Formats: sequence, C-alpha cells, structure tokens
Amino acid sequence: MAALARPRPDQALKHAILIAATLIALAPTIFMILTSLKTSEEYTFNKVGPPENPVLEHFHTVLFDSGFIGWMVNSTILVVGAVALSTVVSCLGAYAIARMKFAGRGMLFAVSTALMAVPPVVMIVPLFVLYTQLSLISTYQGAILIYAGLITPFSVYLLTSFFRTLPQEIFESARIDGAGDLLILWKIVLPLSLPPLLTLVVVNALYVWNDLLIAIIFLQDDAKRTLMAGINVFQGRYGDQIPLTMAGMVFASAPMIILYVAFQRYFIQGLMAGSIK
Amino acid sequence: MTRQPGFSRRQVLKTAAGVAAGAATMNFAQRMAQAQSPELNMWWWGEQELPGLQSYVDDSVKGYTAATVKPMLQDTAVVISQFQTAAAAGKAPDIQFLWNGIYHMESVWLGYLRPLDGLIPDDIIKASNPTLLSRFGGKTYRVGWYPLPMIWIYNKDLFDKAGLDADNPPKTWDEFLNACDKMKAAGIAPVGGGIQDGYWGEWYFGHALAQNVDSAGEVIQLFTGERDFRDPKYHEHWVKLEELKKKDFLNSEMPSTDLYSGIDLIVAGKVGAGLSIASRLPKDSKTTNGRIGTMVMPVYGKGKLAGRPIFDSQGLGISAGSTNPEAAAKFLEYLQSADRLKAMYDKTGWIPSSTNFDVSVIEDPAVRDMWQKWGLSPNIPYLSNLVPGQFYEQALLPTAQQVIGGKITGAEAGDLAADVAKQWRDFNPDVVENYKKWAADLGG
Amino acid sequence: MHSSRITPYLYVAPLVALLLFVFGYPLVRIFEFSFKMVRGIDGPWIGFRNYELVLTQSLFWESVLHNIYLLLAVPFMVGWSLIISVILYERLKGWRLYRIVLFLPYILAIPIIAVIVKKMFQFNGPVNEVLRWIGFDFLALDWIGSSDVALWTVMLLIIWRESALGIILFLARLLSLDESLIESAKIEGANWWQRLWFVIVPQMKIVIEFYIVVSVITILSAVFAYVFVIGGGRGGPGTSTMVVEFYIFNALIRSSLPGIASAVSVMLFLVSLLLIVPLFAIRRRANEEEVR
Repeated sequence: MAALARPRPDQALKHAILIAATLIALAPTIFMILTSLKTSEEYTFNKVGPPENPVLEHFHTVLFDSGFIGWMVNSTILVVGAVALSTVVSCLGAYAIARMKFAGRGMLFAVSTALMAVPPVVMIVPLFVLYTQLSLISTYQGAILIYAGLITPFSVYLLTSFFRTLPQEIFESARIDGAGDLLILWKIVLPLSLPPLLTLVVVNALYVWNDLLIAIIFLQDDAKRTLMAGINVFQGRYGDQIPLTMAGMVFASAPMIILYVAFQRYFIQGLMAGSIK
Repeated sequence: MTRQPGFSRRQVLKTAAGVAAGAATMNFAQRMAQAQSPELNMWWWGEQELPGLQSYVDDSVKGYTAATVKPMLQDTAVVISQFQTAAAAGKAPDIQFLWNGIYHMESVWLGYLRPLDGLIPDDIIKASNPTLLSRFGGKTYRVGWYPLPMIWIYNKDLFDKAGLDADNPPKTWDEFLNACDKMKAAGIAPVGGGIQDGYWGEWYFGHALAQNVDSAGEVIQLFTGERDFRDPKYHEHWVKLEELKKKDFLNSEMPSTDLYSGIDLIVAGKVGAGLSIASRLPKDSKTTNGRIGTMVMPVYGKGKLAGRPIFDSQGLGISAGSTNPEAAAKFLEYLQSADRLKAMYDKTGWIPSSTNFDVSVIEDPAVRDMWQKWGLSPNIPYLSNLVPGQFYEQALLPTAQQVIGGKITGAEAGDLAADVAKQWRDFNPDVVENYKKWAADLGG
Repeated sequence: MHSSRITPYLYVAPLVALLLFVFGYPLVRIFEFSFKMVRGIDGPWIGFRNYELVLTQSLFWESVLHNIYLLLAVPFMVGWSLIISVILYERLKGWRLYRIVLFLPYILAIPIIAVIVKKMFQFNGPVNEVLRWIGFDFLALDWIGSSDVALWTVMLLIIWRESALGIILFLARLLSLDESLIESAKIEGANWWQRLWFVIVPQMKIVIEFYIVVSVITILSAVFAYVFVIGGGRGGPGTSTMVVEFYIFNALIRSSLPGIASAVSVMLFLVSLLLIVPLFAIRRRANEEEVR
C-alpha cells in the first residue's frame, strides 16, 4: 500500500486542493453554526467571523417557541412507518423473485427496477385527487403508503441482487431439515442479509426524512407537518432573523449529521448503492 | 411489523366509511355529548399571518355549546385546492376559511359555496365587511373575519432626518418623488422593501392599478379581453415602478429580501417608506415607539379609485355540501358577537373585521387612527384579489420582480401581462364566462 | 409442501399491490387526465387540447430550458469529482478524514442547505462581503435576487451537493483498481497526468457514465427542493428558476389545473423512460465489472 505516496513537491499542491475542497464542503455548515451563536445585532456587522459573545438564546427559541420537536416527531413516524412497510414488502417480494420460479418473474423484476427512474412528481396529480376523495390527505397512513411505494423499487432491486448471491447449498440443507420458505427467509436469509438491509434502511430513511415534495402536498395539516416542510414555514416566519434561522437549521440537521458520523460506512455504501434516487 | 400493511388498509376502510366509523374511535361520553349537538367541521387558515388566531379559534370552539366544532388549520399552499377537491368529492367541511375575491369566487362558480343571504342577518354581514369582491349574482358568500387594510408606511425618524414633515406624508406622486430625492440626498434608501418571494408585486399592483380605474369591474375586463394591459393607463403602475428603479430610489437589497424582511427594513430605519399591511402595525408601531406613519399611496392616476384607502378582509363561508348550514351560520354569527370580537383582539392583538368593534379598546393611537381611516371610512376593495391564479403566478409576481431587477421596462411588463391574460383565457374558457358575469356585480 | 404453485404469488402480492397503488394507478390516470379538462376531480374529454396549450406556452418551454441549462452542471460535477477522487486515491495523509468531510454535503437535506445558502448569498450577505473585502467587487452579484443569476446559484448549489456523490462513487471504483497497472506505467516513466488520462480514466469509464446518467435524471426530475427554497417558493425571481417539476406543482396546486399538470407529467414520464434504457445498460455492465 501507499505505493503512490512518496513525498514530492506536488504533494503540497494536492494537499492545498483537498483543503480547499474540504473548506467548500464545510462552509455552509460552519456559517450555520457560527451564525446561530450570534445575536441579531452582531450579525448585522459581523456576518463572517466567529461570534464575539456567543449566545444560546436562539436554541431556546427553536426548542420551545417553534414547532421543531413536533415536526421531527412527524418525520420520525413517517420514516419508521414507510421504511418498515417497504422493508417487509420488499423482503417477501425479493425472496420470491430471487429464489422461486413463477410466471412473470422476470417481468416483475424488470418493471419494478425501471420504476426507480420514474420521477415522483409524475405520480402526484392522480394521488392527490384520489387522496382527497378518500380523505387521506394529511394522514400518516396515506403519506406512509406513498413513501413506502416510492422507496420499494430500490429495496427490491438491492435485496433481489443480494439474495441471488447466496449459495444454493444453504437453501437445500434447510429444505432437507424440513424448513418452509418463511422460516428460511426469517432464520437464514435475513440474518445473512444484515449489511444490505442496513444499507436499505439508511438510504430509505434519508430519502423520506429529506423529502419536501410529497410532504408539502400530502401533509397539509399543521399538526402533521414534517421537518422539511416545517423548515420552510420557520424560515418564512423568522427569515429576517438570520441567527435564529440558523439555530433552527443546526437543530434540524443535527440528527443526520450525528448518525452520519456514527455510521458513516453504511451511509457511504448505502448512498452509493442508492444513488439513482 | 408484519401487521403494517393490514394497519394501513384498515385505516383506508375506516376513513372511507366516514363519520360513523370515525365516531367509533371516540369514547362513550363524547358520543353522548355529540348526539345532542350537531357536529361542524371548520377548515381555517390565518395563524400563519396572525399568530394567536389558533388560540382564539380553540377558545371560541370550546366556549360554544350549540354545536361541536372541529377546527383544522390548513397549510398556505393548499387552502384552495384542498377545499375544492374535497367539495368535488362531497367531503367539504361545513365552514371554510376564504380569501377574498377570486380565491373564493371559483368555488362559488363550481357550486361549492352557499350564499349567506338569509342564513346570517344582513346587518351582521355588512358590519363584518366581506367587501364588494365577495358578491356574485347579487349574493354574498363570506362573512368578514379579520381585516387586512392595505397601507403604505413610512419611518418618521428618517423623514425627520431628511428634513421632511413626518406628520404630513406626500399625497401626490410628485411630492413623493421630491421626498425620495431628499431622503436619497440624506443617505437614506428612500423606498422599497423585499421582493425575493414575489408577494411585493401583488401588493404594489393592488395599490397602484387602482389609481387608473373607476371600478373593480374594469379590472375584470383586463382579464376577459375587453380591455388590454397594453393600454398605457393599465400598465402605468409598472412604468412608475420603473421610474423608482431608474432614479435609484429602491433599496439595493430589495431583490434578495423577502416581503416581510423588507418591511422590517423600514421599521428598523434602513428604508424610508414602502408597502405594508395593517395587521403588522400594532407591533411595528410599538417597536418604534409610534414612529411608523401610515399613508395612502401617493397619487398620480386619474381613476375614481385613486387615493382611496384599500380594505381587504379574510372571511369565512359555508360550503354547499354542509348538512347543517343553519348551525354553521349560527356559529359564524357567534364569532361576530361583541364578546368574540373582544376575544379576537385579546388573543391576537389585532382588530376583528367588524364596524361594531369597540374602538376604545385599541390603546395605540396610530392603530386607532389607521382603523378610523381604513376600516370605518369609505374604502375600496383590494384589486389584486381579482387576479386569476395563473396570471398571479406568471405575470403579477414576475413582472414586478423583473422591472425592479431592471430586466424589463414598465411597457414590456404590460405586454407580458397581456400575453399571460390571453393564455389564461385559452387555458380556462369556462372561467372566463364567469368572470364576465362577475363584472356585473363589480360595476363593470 | 414448501413450494406449492401459488406460494410465490403470495410472496409478491403485497409488493405488486403497493407498486400498483403508488405507480400503476397514477401512471394510468395521468394519461387519462391529460386528455380531460379536469376541474376538481374530473371533467370532460378535450382531446389533445391540454398538450396544445402547454406546448404553445412560453413558460413551459422556459421551464424546459432551465432544466437543460442545469444540465451544464454535469461536466463540472464530473470534472471536480474526478480530480478530488484521484487525489484522495493517492492516500495522502488524512485521506479518510477528508473523505468523511467531503461526503457531508450529500447527507445534509436539500431544504436545510438551501435555506443556509440563501442567507449566505443575500446581496448584503457574507459571501458578497468576503468578495468585496478581497477586492472582487465585480463578483459580488445579486445571487438570489437577480433573474440573470439565480438559476446559476441553483446550479452552483447542485454542483456543490451532487459532486459529493461523484467523489465517493469514483473513489470506490479507484480503490478496486488493479494497482500494478499504475505502478508499471510509473516505471515506464509516465507522469501524473499521463497516468490519470491513459491508465486511470479508461478503467473508470463505466462508473463515470453511470454517474452522468444518474445526474441527468436527478437534474431533470429531482431538483424541486432546490428551486422551491432558492426561488422563494415561486420559481423566481421572475420565472428564472422555474423548472418542469415546479411547473407541474404550480399547475396542480396553485392554478388548480390538474389536466394541464397531467399533460406535463406524461411528457416528463416519457422522457424519463428514455433515460431508463441507458441507465440499466450501464448498471448491468457495472455489475459485470464488479464480478470480474
């Protein structure tokens, strides 16, 4: 290893490029954090530098005088519901596609996979009309159903690909022991599939958590607003108070940043695998 | 976990089964209480622009015994589409929040709203001032809820600094340009606000177009094709805007600032004058110790509506699908009672839409004077509320942004507006017919 | 007993039901709606009138054009990602840490980052303050307030965020390369650029193609959140950040014209179908490469 890393003069240049790239990648985050600690007065004359007298009052406002906590709870409900539903449906479906023979199998997999590239915005018009007829607008179950549907093609694709790589022998020996399909799936396949499942959970959770389009159309009730839709309301109301807005953004981005730092391997693998979405 | 799909399906069935199934989830005591009083659904909006309204609604619902009212706060983006789609599916609430003008008139034309005449006493409707824009076919479809006088404000400290008379703001356009010159000379950005989110263009249109028209019906004809935005008097307002831009009177951060942040600039003493909305006045007046003055837009035009205070109101109406319109009407009447009017003021710090409201409760003289002039004297409706949605998105907001950005001239804005009005007629042939009928109610 | 004839169908039934509901039903109805003058939930058939209206409207074409402009971001994304990933591949001191940080933009939600960027790029905001301070006044543009610049600001933001994915994708491919090739090129006296251009890039051809197709799909159909926040919820200033997705949203929600929204949805759907073919051809080749 380190075959290329002999010290040479252009090393300095490469380091400089990496440092510049890192700064660009971090600039908004740094600005967000520094600004959130300033008073509104200080921000008017000190927009770039570190805060002279850091204050935490904005975080207090965000926590107690805005809907952030409720929005996060809503987003969490949707993430858990949609990811759980999609995972169960996809595991069953992918297992059948990968391990059973039935008419239409190839077709189902091809269509399901192709749906990954269909823009979500294409689906909203009929679903919006249908949901209003069924009174499903602004309900968790309605939104969960849509999210679960949107993330399922990728889940099926990933799980099917993985299930196909499992050696035939383990299935045969399980069959000989008299295990049925459900038992094989539950006791043998899923434990072996933990890495792709974790990848799936990461990608799908991030997709649902970060979505704005479905959230603003299908969850219109204030009490059901998600974090991403809430941010928009928040910046509309406090847009003139930039430090306060930034405190809100710090609070809103913290969960994902913390999870990323803790599980960065899964994030990186997962988002690479799911990059189509 | 495997029960998840079943859970969702059950929920679908439950909602489809409607009220009966919904009631099944309530406890016995609630159901008993409900058997005795009708249940009313009310979809409303307003907390977004008038914080405290939620508390007022909750309070009013709690204190009302003649019916069980179930309020739901709607999101800004979908207030209309949600109601219309629900009404089409026969699922509309009994009481619906309604913005003025076209924002509820389309629902009237679709047959989704019930005229209030005969349901609510005329004097109560009149006192609530739903405005002329709420009339169609001789009937009124809204009762006013809270008022939105459209005002110009100016910073008295900056007027003083520029050597202007802070108690006598400019009345004519020439006087105004003069004042701008003086402010600019004193190093003050004379006029402006923020237009990044576009809404400023709507407000400006409402103030300025009025100057060259004689009636609201005349504005309707700009959309139906009987009149034309290319006629100089119908785009002079954009030419005036171009003038402000060319003379460098507008604040430099205007294009990248949002509407409300822009008003804050005036309050904070960074911009001399600009558009605002009266519901902000109590707070802005307090912040500046009464140093915010109100005025009508300085006059350049020769129309009958020029120089008159503009009054708009948010309102409530009753859906055609309501199974108990009388009960809904009673609730709206209750919201207009002296006690509820006072409660609105207490909870929101803002005046309710009623000429019966006891003005002496208002402490701030600036607010009281404003209400005397905009709320209790003869006023005109807010013409931007006549604009069809498509025109609003594609012409009304973009043109002002483009003129202020120096991208197009006032006359070109008129051309663009005429094009978009034509497109709107093509896209909505059914609505055009209704617009023509509506003009009759608006003195066209 | 373990695999009766209907068992497979029981396993795929929930999947099929979910896909039919979320994709199947809407994809059928947008075609139907696109031929109707829909008011509320339904309306009369009007033939191709919706398409005619949309296709003759300048705003629609402007929206399409903006999507196409945004595609100009792709070469920049590829170039930047390639440079950074190749430098990272040399495993300079601390490269793992760099990798974690450089992927961060892709973790942050678009609505959050767009709000932050919007504040940074205000006319009198920190970015312009820094630019003026270092004497680059001519660059202190009205980034979000001018209709000439706003779309480019959106593009800058897209490059900034989506490049993070490119860097990680490219790096992963690089780490799986056969290093002996690079070593022997070095022994033969090839310099850094020659090695990059003649040895490394050819081996990354497939992953680069994949990244390009994915980016094209993203820009054509997944930039709603960017323009919603940067364009002030309106596709503004003027109509300068209006894109096709936003056009559909506006037609449905703001103008109450579901028929028009459906006609545009149909067209967007057909374009995305065209992109699915190359995407999966590349994906298949990429998979074969992994196996080999």
